[in-house]
Amino acid sequence: MNIKLNRRAIFGTLTASTLALSLAACGGGGDESGDGASGEINASGASFPEAYYAAAIEGFAEVNPELNVTYNATGSSTGKSEFGEGLNDFAGSDSLVGDDDGVEAGSFQYLPTVAAPITVAYNLPNVEGIQIDQETLAGIFQGDITAWNDPAIAATNEGLELPETPITIARRSDGSGTTSNFTTFLDEATDTWTLGAGDEVSWPEGSIGGEKNTGVAQVLQQTEGAIGYIDLADAAEIGLVTASIENADGAFVAPTLEGATAALAGAEIAEDLSYNPLNATGADAYPITAPTYILIRTEYEDENVAAGVKEFVNYLLTDGQALAEGANFAPLPEELQTQALDALNATIAD
Amino acid sequence: MTSLSSTPPDLTRRNLSWRRSLANRTSTLLIGLCVVLAAFPLFLVMWQVISRGGSSMSLDFLTEEIPRNYRTAGPGMGPAIVGTLFITGMAALIAIPIGVLGAVYLNEYGKNKPLARFIRTMADVMTGVPSIMMGLFIYVSYVIVIGEQIGFAGSLALACLMLPIVIRSTEEMLRLVPDELRQASAGLGARKWRTIMTVVLPSASSGITSGALLAIARAAGETAPIIVTVGLTYIYKPDLFYGQNTNLAAQIFRNASQPFAASQERAWGAALTLMGLVFLFTIISRIIASRFAIDKR
Repeated sequence: MNIKLNRRAIFGTLTASTLALSLAACGGGGDESGDGASGEINASGASFPEAYYAAAIEGFAEVNPELNVTYNATGSSTGKSEFGEGLNDFAGSDSLVGDDDGVEAGSFQYLPTVAAPITVAYNLPNVEGIQIDQETLAGIFQGDITAWNDPAIAATNEGLELPETPITIARRSDGSGTTSNFTTFLDEATDTWTLGAGDEVSWPEGSIGGEKNTGVAQVLQQTEGAIGYIDLADAAEIGLVTASIENADGAFVAPTLEGATAALAGAEIAEDLSYNPLNATGADAYPITAPTYILIRTEYEDENVAAGVKEFVNYLLTDGQALAEGANFAPLPEELQTQALDALNATIAD
Repeated sequence: MTSLSSTPPDLTRRNLSWRRSLANRTSTLLIGLCVVLAAFPLFLVMWQVISRGGSSMSLDFLTEEIPRNYRTAGPGMGPAIVGTLFITGMAALIAIPIGVLGAVYLNEYGKNKPLARFIRTMADVMTGVPSIMMGLFIYVSYVIVIGEQIGFAGSLALACLMLPIVIRSTEEMLRLVPDELRQASAGLGARKWRTIMTVVLPSASSGITSGALLAIARAAGETAPIIVTVGLTYIYKPDLFYGQNTNLAAQIFRNASQPFAASQERAWGAALTLMGLVFLFTIISRIIASRFAIDKR
């Protein structure tokens, strides 16, 4: 009798956790029904196209609610390394796979999905429509030009009253495909850029890092005099002011979808479906137009996962493209879209 | 009193010298001020969370799935609430029995043996280890090995975090049990294991419960290890061994770090929900502790 009572007392101390156990017991897996694939697809990677993928996932949930797609915007670098470790079913990346990304050559296929301008956004009250030429842009982002009323900036902005406000560089703190595309542009287009190109570069002292594109956006919102590079979708959603950038033809072009589409038209597509629309020629082409890719595996262990990835990516490349413009992304040109679909069908057989 | 011949000394304040009286008043005032100062940020936090999170709070908010797009306004934290309960619950299931039994070893068997002293020191060190370390440890030793981010991985990370807290708090509680009780039990012929089961643990049960609860509350609010180990989901995942998961703390972090008004509102709502959950758990545990405390029976 006594023993029984006391035993209860001991279990009493554990009741809080036992409660959770009884709840956990009623858990269950996903149902398998319907015509399309079902189950779960986990993806992670680039934050640059997150606005488009999020819209597409919302749209896809209406087409096939049985297949749950999750896109975790971790940044391109994390996405690629998680792809290498087998943690995600496909990865999003704005930059190509490098040697130290942990992804085995031949284990993946690039599929371009959309493209979009990387805007150069800034926070200066009452100053709109700044025009920046390519060399000046390089000077600003490597810390050579430190104040907004610098003669180099003033030269292309006659009639604008530029304040003495010091320039604060807002950049990505995590490994990023947006950084890679932006620095690649500066590296290719200018002679004065010294920081190199890649997912991460060593930014000048005093620059402020933000996580993901949205983190950079927050820095831009909060810091007067800040200038940073960020995807058009987030810049537009938040209402950041963007600069017009000099393109290869010497024209100043504002970041718009038309500018991105014009840049895509001139881009050459490589055999692995990668392409480079940076600093494309054409009077209307926006110079910092970035591609974004997803990486799918050439071999999936689980047939259901393969079918799921195929169904969702197929949606991204076909019906989903209609959602791109609404989310401020440029859809693929028809030719590239066909090539991507062919590659998808060749990589994941039915 | 009446039997005393001399008159009792006057102990009222009036009799104090002005210096002592002044010292007394200043100290009381200072102490009172400190209490107000200590409570001030606490109330400020509560007021902020309630006033900001209250507007998004509704039944829908507690039950709907999480919107797939940060930019979309609207309710939904249901999966994160379930995730918090299950992931933390599983962590408690792992950490509390191990921690309590470990503490029993330390206090009843190990005492000052080198092994016990070593474990005690390590437990102290572990309580100070940042939580992200536990997350990365589980990421490297479990997530990468099985090749999947699942809810259970988060439970493991939280369990690692809770274990040292449970061990140390339980040991302190066991130390408070008077030796006379153990000796009495032994005197009645009980073996050591029975003494521990029927005398020591029940006497300390209320303190052990509150220690365990502190650990649970801390784990429920952990963000970093969850983000590394469990991934992300928008839908209900009651099965910790299938698919990626999420919890309230991770959702607060994700939504708050977005520049969109819709997601920031959801973050405040999630913060209020988490605060409510921890509050609820505290009350439940108090009830349990008082119900099973030995002196109340």
